Amino acid sequence: MRRLLLGLSCAAALLQAAAVDRSQPPVTPPIPDVKLPSREEFKLPNGLTVVVAKDARFPLLTVRLAFMAGSKYDPQDLPGLSDSVAALLNQGTASRTARQIAEQAADLGGQIVSASRHDDLTVSGSCLSTTAADFLALVADVVQHASFPDDEVDLQKQNRLQVLRGERAEANYLGQEALSAALFGSHPYAHIGPTEESIAKLSKESLKTFRDTYLVPNNAYLILVGQVPPDAQLKALLTAEFGTWQKKDLPKYDPPALPANRKQLLLVDRPGSVQANIFSAHLAPNRTSPEYFPLALGNTVLGAGLDSRLFNDIREKRGYAYDAHSIYTPMQETAYVSAVTQVRNEVVEPAVQALNDDLAAMATTDVTSREMTQAKNAYAGSFILRLERQSGLADQIVTVQTMGLPANYLEMFTTHIRSVEPDQVRTTGKYWAPDNATVVVVGDAQKIKKSLEKYGTVELVKPPR
Amino acid sequence: MKFSFCLLLTAALAAAAPPKINIPIEKYKLDNGLRVILSEDNTLPVVAVYVVYDVGSRAEEKGRTGFAHLFEHMMFEGSANVKKGEHMRFVESNGGTLNGSTHPDYTNYFESLPSNKLAVGLWLESDRMRSLAITPENLANQKEAVKQERRLSFDNQPYATAIVDKWPQMVFKNWQNSHSLIGSFEDLNSATIDDVSKFFKTHYAPDNAVLTVVGDIKIADAKKLIETYFGDIPQQTKPKRPDLAEPPGASSSSDTYKDPLAKVPGVIVGYPGPERGSDDYYALVVLDALLTGGDSSRLQLNLVKGKKSVIQYQGDLGWPFASADDYRDPGQYATFFIYNPSFQANQIVDQYQDEIAKIQKEGITDVEIRRAVTLLLTSKLNELQTSLGRARLLAGFELLDGKPQNINTVLDRYAAVTPERVQAVAKKYLTAERRTFLAIQPDPGAKTAVPATKGGF
Repeated sequence: MRRLLLGLSCAAALLQAAAVDRSQPPVTPPIPDVKLPSREEFKLPNGLTVVVAKDARFPLLTVRLAFMAGSKYDPQDLPGLSDSVAALLNQGTASRTARQIAEQAADLGGQIVSASRHDDLTVSGSCLSTTAADFLALVADVVQHASFPDDEVDLQKQNRLQVLRGERAEANYLGQEALSAALFGSHPYAHIGPTEESIAKLSKESLKTFRDTYLVPNNAYLILVGQVPPDAQLKALLTAEFGTWQKKDLPKYDPPALPANRKQLLLVDRPGSVQANIFSAHLAPNRTSPEYFPLALGNTVLGAGLDSRLFNDIREKRGYAYDAHSIYTPMQETAYVSAVTQVRNEVVEPAVQALNDDLAAMATTDVTSREMTQAKNAYAGSFILRLERQSGLADQIVTVQTMGLPANYLEMFTTHIRSVEPDQVRTTGKYWAPDNATVVVVGDAQKIKKSLEKYGTVELVKPPR
Repeated sequence: MKFSFCLLLTAALAAAAPPKINIPIEKYKLDNGLRVILSEDNTLPVVAVYVVYDVGSRAEEKGRTGFAHLFEHMMFEGSANVKKGEHMRFVESNGGTLNGSTHPDYTNYFESLPSNKLAVGLWLESDRMRSLAITPENLANQKEAVKQERRLSFDNQPYATAIVDKWPQMVFKNWQNSHSLIGSFEDLNSATIDDVSKFFKTHYAPDNAVLTVVGDIKIADAKKLIETYFGDIPQQTKPKRPDLAEPPGASSSSDTYKDPLAKVPGVIVGYPGPERGSDDYYALVVLDALLTGGDSSRLQLNLVKGKKSVIQYQGDLGWPFASADDYRDPGQYATFFIYNPSFQANQIVDQYQDEIAKIQKEGITDVEIRRAVTLLLTSKLNELQTSLGRARLLAGFELLDGKPQNINTVLDRYAAVTPERVQAVAKKYLTAERRTFLAIQPDPGAKTAVPATKGGF
């Protein structure tokens, strides 16, 4: 009897198989809404902001401790200081050697890594949730009592220099370095890393001073996602580990004004390059602007993913490049957009033309309704997909906190994206306009300078080394 | 809760009871030979559709290098009902992401989607398995894309030529293993429509593939949809497996590559690895975690810190194209070092060999082995968080072992490794007599050699 039933259901499936019309895509319901795990936010008396999101799916705890202490706070003569503080935080404290920190983190099923970006310096880690108490104690020790031992500072100086030389061997890094300098002028966003000189000057004192100035609780956001200890236990734990940390007034941060967008054409000479890396960029509004959502959608249509205008034109239609894309990088004070491609030397001239045409079209024509729907759905879907990992949610909460966004920003994100109209996208097309773009090309000047001269006066830049 | 982990409170400190992973697995086969693995988890409305074909660069024939990779590109160029370029369009407009990549032993294609879009993923994957559009225009266009990928990802990158072209030729004698993954421009240029059609028919058949669907599904509904879309794709004659065997016996060798793009010297050191799935294999993975995993690894503490000679390193069973999970023998256990230029390559090799010698002589402690196993556990947990991560592991274990359930037992195998076994594999495999190394010397005046490789889409 059982067998018979199975046979019947099999036949039913086969019947259905015959009925499907493969010439049409399957009809499916709209992308579902998804509820974010609720977050609890509170402050310790010393000003440390804590955000907790419970997510019980995995026996892991993900931790972020973000400080407003990114590269823009580097002293003028010490670019890269924030980056070195991040690298050295877990290399020794008053009570633990670097080795003890590394071994203890590993025993807890965890690791601690820190990174400095434009605005923030964020300590990131995760551990088996059963070891949460010990792991949080370790994080607390690292951020409050890092001792920057002499031999670790020396090693950092020695190795960071070699890493910088390695980075500068790569065309993409050379391009990013030149692009930031050209876009941001005298604003501290202009540097993306250290220089050989600033690495040589790095000292224990400068590291400690930076730590004592910026790594203070009233300048920090602690984010916990995953299997979090019960509330009472967590509060006691946080008070014990972070409660005695002294708050401190922060120095006034008063950066020079950002330059206006202006036409610039820079060629970074990289002899022997078999291709040219092209960047075309503008300063643009950040996440707090009403133009953010239209510009984000425009960026998606123009150059995100594998069905964008740049990808379809420069790679698929013309075959100039393997990669052609655009990025929108919002920061705290501003943002920049850039279109990026790498083309073989022989096609530099037509490739720049094609790129400029694609960029100019953003301000002169509306995106199609198909492009609009696709971009909106791509956002809605990726929002759900990002929630699969604890780190996906934790990093979004870091963005909300460090960029000063409303508490319901994540809940409202998809709604804001869905409400954008094509004419709003077209209005933000001005942020792509070739006539006031900062263009940086990295390549063999002997082979490509002539091709570029068609597009304006080429300013030749020698790479730093 | 589909995942049930029984973590003891002291899981990290007590090696005796590793946490249990229970990923549900439903495995069956369609009449046309397509192997299907389903795994349900309804916690988020997400689904991963993952198709892996049992063909990689090691299955290529002489004169046809780069076909596996060229094919990966062709798979995005359209099929009977999906026009050129529409594949990305359908996935993105349904809120999904996609990719594909070529490996020595397999080629994969996958989508992550909101779960109510499952049918779209199945429709797309089945349409190209059934009816890929192999046209002269698509072929010409993708030959160019592959060449441009080579220029971008290899010919213009420091270390890449040494790693992807030179290294395999040093460590493998059998052409199947040693030839270029991205292929020579010559072979790519001479590829005809007939060649490509034949390759498709031979290797991209349902009985040479595994379909994995993981996430927010209902098993019965998913089965019905899969039968609908894949059930009547015709079966083909199974391709002959390539003979990958290396000549017996291992020898030592060394060479230097002058790299015009590198600014900092590097060196690759490797040894022939064990049989996949053997006791030695699991012990060597634990040894690798102990040597190279995290800030507390021996290489970090003793070479980066102690000797201040090494700057960065990465090692893996199957490096550079595979990792322990998708390693297939014959393969290498290799480690790549970037080091301080005040040292010489042979000093780095000696220091590394000395670290191994310490383990060969003195063995390792219980604390160290627990730490290594904990590291393997947490990195696996991180991988399992996404439906795509679970799909990839399930498909890989099916393809390489015929046992998707290894996803639930692999950590037990690591946890069962004893310090004595680690010492034994260090002695058996990582000896100077079996060692190959390739020094990469920065040389701005050197000419780029162009032999060959692979890459993601």
